[in-house]
Amino acid sequence: MPIIVNLDVMMAKRKISSNDLAERVGITPANLSVLKTGKAKAVRFSTLDKICEALDCQPGDILEWRLPEEDD
Amino acid sequence: MWSKTRSLALSRILVTAFSAMIFMMTFFVPFFAEWYEGASLGNGLIKGSVKVPTIVILYISEAFAVWALAELHILLHNISKDNVFVSRNVKSLRSISWACIFAGAAFCVLALWRYLFFLAAVAAVMIGLIMRVLKNVFEQAVEIKSENDFTI
Repeated sequence: MPIIVNLDVMMAKRKISSNDLAERVGITPANLSVLKTGKAKAVRFSTLDKICEALDCQPGDILEWRLPEEDD
Repeated sequence: MWSKTRSLALSRILVTAFSAMIFMMTFFVPFFAEWYEGASLGNGLIKGSVKVPTIVILYISEAFAVWALAELHILLHNISKDNVFVSRNVKSLRSISWACIFAGAAFCVLALWRYLFFLAAVAAVMIGLIMRVLKNVFEQAVEIKSENDFTI
């Protein structure tokens, strides 16, 4: 998928652990892991809102669109 | 009181009973064919004895029935474990659909001796088609469930 989740980078900048963020956002650490590893197929606005609030950032800081790599 | 668990248990009992019946049928196919040879009055495209074709086609369709029943067992086992919308169930439904269609094709061959078997062929193919549509619905449901599971 050409949408890249840069949650790790933002978490490192804010020095916040996965468990801490999961607790603040109100999702399970397992679901946060799904989000971090790019396995998520969709993100609810409410979840994005809470993540941005917890990390004090913009959605664009977490989500990035990249041109998909073409197979040979 | 009737419940989901009891309904599932009844389905499992029926499938097991039908499996036992199919197993028993293996020993009676030649006797049935002999009886049918004497009792049948119909005709078909090919004239002559219907005994050997009946034995061969019944054994072939029995193999398809065993295949379909094995898949039904897997399907019911998965449902009892609350794994309903999983790709393995889609595979089972696809297999059952093909088993019915192949059995229908086998009965079409037998219909060359007795036109009456076209009815059985049409019924088997019809069930196969219904299972195929059900498989398509399940395939879509598996996709929706996966999207739902991975929506954070």
